[in-house]
Amino acid sequence: MDPSRPLSDHAAVVALDVAERPRRSRASAAAYAFLSPALLVLLVFLLVPAVWVFGLSLFRWDLIANNPAFVGLANFERLFLRDDLWWQSVRQTVYYTAVSVPAGMALGLALAVLLNARMPGRHLLRGAVFAPYVTPFVATIVIWQWIFNPDYGVLNSALAGLHLPRPGWIHSQDWIMPAIIIYGVWQHTGLNLVIYLAGLANIPAEMEEAARVDGARSWSVFWRITWPLLSPTTYFLLFINLISSFKVFVPVYVFTQNTGGANKAAETIGFYLYQQAFAFFHAGYAGAISVAFFLLILLLTGVQMRFFSRRVFYA
Amino acid sequence: MTHTRAALLTRYALAVPLAALFLFPFYWMLVLSLNRPDAILSFPPRLLPQWQFGNYAEVWRFANWPGLFANTVITTAGRVLLVVATSTLAGYAFASMRFVGKAAAFGLLLALYMVPTEVTLVPNYITLVHAGWIDTYQAQFIPFAANVFGIFLMRQYFLTLPKDLWEAAQLDGCNHLRYLLSIAAPLARPALVTIGLLQVIEGWNAFLWPLIVTSTDRVRPLQVGLAAFSFTDSTRPELLAAGAFMTTLPVLILFLLAQRQLVGGIASTGIRG
Repeated sequence: MDPSRPLSDHAAVVALDVAERPRRSRASAAAYAFLSPALLVLLVFLLVPAVWVFGLSLFRWDLIANNPAFVGLANFERLFLRDDLWWQSVRQTVYYTAVSVPAGMALGLALAVLLNARMPGRHLLRGAVFAPYVTPFVATIVIWQWIFNPDYGVLNSALAGLHLPRPGWIHSQDWIMPAIIIYGVWQHTGLNLVIYLAGLANIPAEMEEAARVDGARSWSVFWRITWPLLSPTTYFLLFINLISSFKVFVPVYVFTQNTGGANKAAETIGFYLYQQAFAFFHAGYAGAISVAFFLLILLLTGVQMRFFSRRVFYA
Repeated sequence: MTHTRAALLTRYALAVPLAALFLFPFYWMLVLSLNRPDAILSFPPRLLPQWQFGNYAEVWRFANWPGLFANTVITTAGRVLLVVATSTLAGYAFASMRFVGKAAAFGLLLALYMVPTEVTLVPNYITLVHAGWIDTYQAQFIPFAANVFGIFLMRQYFLTLPKDLWEAAQLDGCNHLRYLLSIAAPLARPALVTIGLLQVIEGWNAFLWPLIVTSTDRVRPLQVGLAAFSFTDSTRPELLAAGAFMTTLPVLILFLLAQRQLVGGIASTGIRG
């Protein structure tokens, strides 16, 4: 028996030889024995919950006190029509995404172009930018909390040295989101850097050299050759950055000490979901938020595929 | 010649300060952890540490760090071992075995790849309450004991192994399991290392799920303990920084030892975050 026949051969399996049936079902049993540990975990903790959460969203259910009561679409009606805090968390998540994703990607690209050269110490420089990405969130956030401290923080000390105003950062309603965005860009740029470096490595050096021989300047070589050839990388990065920034939770939780900030100024969708589910135990309502979040992610993916995929240049 | 040299200097002039900015919070972690509290609560802040190594001894007594450390090691190890095992078995089945419903099972995996884990938080919490698993070790890693990416990666790797290898093993009387354990899996070591490294990072840094399913220091991991410490004891920032440095150090060491595999693994998937 050939273990590496491609998937497409399986159409042929339908027209099977009856005599082979017992052998094949034994082979299937062996394969399912191999698959069962992974499938069991994925079914119980991923597929069933993803379906179940839609059902859950139709109930009012306080996890501690009472039994679930069917309420139809009432949770969604409340969420979309009467819940100001939900819409505030959506706006703030969009704000976070709209600033941190382009900033992180631009910085990652700039660093990738700078460090894409045979220069001594380049691994060290790349490592320095990438290190925040693999470091535990909480450990670095508690340090950034002191960097952002309005009275004793090193950031405001530097701003004072430059005769600039000293914002209240995480204690201020207006500055908490910028603070979380700065943290997010610091944490996330390393990923953009290494993926852009991988993209740059795929561009044949002759293409840029040919343009240079023709007299093009570095700036126009970048915009006319490099940037278009990087478009699949940019598209991929945009996709994973948008999804991960829409889920932002840990920085909000730790920076605001589980409060969402002054006047909920840092409340995001992920944090609102957490609070409804695990601070107030509104399981049904949290289910509705999960469904809305799910649909939002799908919508985002759809929009992105529609508007950006046509502009991608595949070499 | 002078032109390229000037270009190289420009690269350094731009890249070195930027890289230093990215490293600064790590330096600051070290400075805060080695300062006296009165130095932290002064303005402008001191830029050099005061070398108070006693802070590290004190934080070790202050909270239940050894316990939290052990909890993190246990849950991370459970996660790594299980993901490696489930990915190897399932990846092998998809690459090298024929079975009824293969295309459907593969399609199911692709669909599951799109599900954001945030959506499963509430149902999974209810499941674990009913299983009586709240505040246990297994609650922290069993739900993550298999992942789609790991299966895909192992499948890709097993597909590259030459067919003759399996045919020869079969002539020697090998069945699939023995062939996998003694020949295919050892050959797939690079893929196994990538999966293992990524899971070490994921397990060590796990926060949201352990926060939800643990309630005592008995099973809690470092990250959750550190967050709780930062909420309750803001008067001892130097101890907080020392704790942060200790939880960061294992990851940084791993990163320095295996930078290439780790970066390669993450760059090919874009997971984490």
